[in-house]
This record gives sequence, C-alpha cells and structure tokens, in this order.
Amino acid sequence: MQDRLIPIAAACLLALVSACSVVFARKPVHVAASLLVHSLALAALYLMLSAEMVAMGQIIVYAGAIVVLFLFVVLLLPQGGKEPAPPIGRIALALLLGATIFAPLVFVLSATSRAAHAPAPDGSATAIGRVLFGSQLVPFELTAGLLLVAIIGAVSLWRRQGAPK
Amino acid sequence: MIALGLDIGSALANVDGATFGVVLGTSALMFALGAVGCLLRRNPIALLMSVELMLNAANLVFVLAARVRGYVDAQAAALIVLVLGAAEAVIGLALALALFRHRSRVDADEPREVRG
Repeated sequence: MQDRLIPIAAACLLALVSACSVVFARKPVHVAASLLVHSLALAALYLMLSAEMVAMGQIIVYAGAIVVLFLFVVLLLPQGGKEPAPPIGRIALALLLGATIFAPLVFVLSATSRAAHAPAPDGSATAIGRVLFGSQLVPFELTAGLLLVAIIGAVSLWRRQGAPK
Repeated sequence: MIALGLDIGSALANVDGATFGVVLGTSALMFALGAVGCLLRRNPIALLMSVELMLNAANLVFVLAARVRGYVDAQAAALIVLVLGAAEAVIGLALALALFRHRSRVDADEPREVRG
C-alpha cells in the first residue's frame, strides 16, 4: 500500500513549512494564518491515519475556535503585537537548543517499532465515545474541571485588570 | 457517528515503514520547531502558538500510535490534549491581554513584576 505515502508526505511537508512560518514570521497576523494552515494540514494527516473524530475535533476546535481567538487578541494588542527582530545571538542559541531537543527525540522515536499487521482502529465518534465514557472516564471528566478553571481564571483576570473604571 | 463517507483511512491497509518514519520525523521536527519558537519569540501570542505547535506534535504521535497499534484509546487521549490546548490558549491569551493592553511595547521579556 505505497499509494498513501505521497499524500501523507505532502501533508507532513505542508505542516512543517507552516510550522516554520509560525516560528519565524514577523507579523502576528501571518503567524496566526500559518497556524491555521498548520492545523488544517494536521487534520488531513489525521484523516489519512483513520482518526476521523480527532480530525473533526482538530478542524472545529483548532481552526474554528483557537485560531480565531488568537486573531482577536492580535487585533486588541497595541501595534498588533509587532515585535523587534531578535538579535543574531539569540537566534543561534535558540536553534542550538532546538537541535539538542531534536536529537534525543529522533534517537528515542527511531527505537520505537510498529506492529506488523495491526488492523486500522475505528476512529468514529461512537468508538471514541465508548472509550471516553468507559476506560478513560476519569481524565475525560477532569477536562470539565480544567475548562471550568480556565473560564473562571480568564474572567477574573479580565475583571481585575480590565474592568472600566 | 461521523461517517461522512470518509473511507480515506481504511484504504490504508497497513502503515508501511516509510510512512511511519515520515510521520514520526515530522512530529519530532514540529516539536523542536515549537521549542525554538518558545525560546525565540518575544510576542506572547507567538509564544503561545509555539506551545500549540509542541502540543500538536504530541497529538500526531498519539494518532500515529493509534493507527499502527490499532488502539482507539490513543485517539481519545489526542482529543483530551486538544481540550488542554484550548484551555491553555484561553488562560495565556487572557494573561497576555491583561499584561500588554496598557503598554506601548509587546515584549514578553519586559514585565519585571506581575501583580494580581
């Protein structure tokens, strides 16, 4: 089944190029647009890896909600959040540290093996719902608390700092 | 059930070694790029987006593992990571707004004190 390699590699390439753009683009609006392309490329990859539910979640939550949230904040920041170009030493240091993270990651990941002939998992909402309300019930319920804390935190930050006098 | 006639994945009978390697390498590179972004950027929004890159890299490994092992639990974990990313974005953006709305320069290195 070699015929899926080319679309998967293309989606990987698109995800990597847009990730580079997220890291190195100067204007925040361009960064947000790159993140949008990146999340859509990842959604395509998830579809090809038979994770339909995760792909839909990626499109709705990432492309639909998070990127729009980022864009709103870009518009609210002074000067659109433009930042000065970093000095060359900082770029070199960041790239060096990135390489030191990348090398052990490749070392560890290359040691992983894949099962010889595993069947494709059922990535439908039904199958994932069974898992989320079955064996993964505790982490799933904990995300409700996490979201509640995030909402309360955001609202209280806003009331304390930004309430009109 | 989300069926939508999406038969793309099931056409892939078995993930071969090349595909496996390409996706794993992509994920490692994405994580490293996100780390570089965290170290490099001074704009808090771009900083948060770099963190999102790292979360996405972890998610990609989860989904790939689910595919090659035939194990749906990993996909559920990927969904939970998605929720985590959303919560992190909400708190981070609220902090960025609270810190920088009344400053002339947007630079995450600049604030010396953060009072509640």
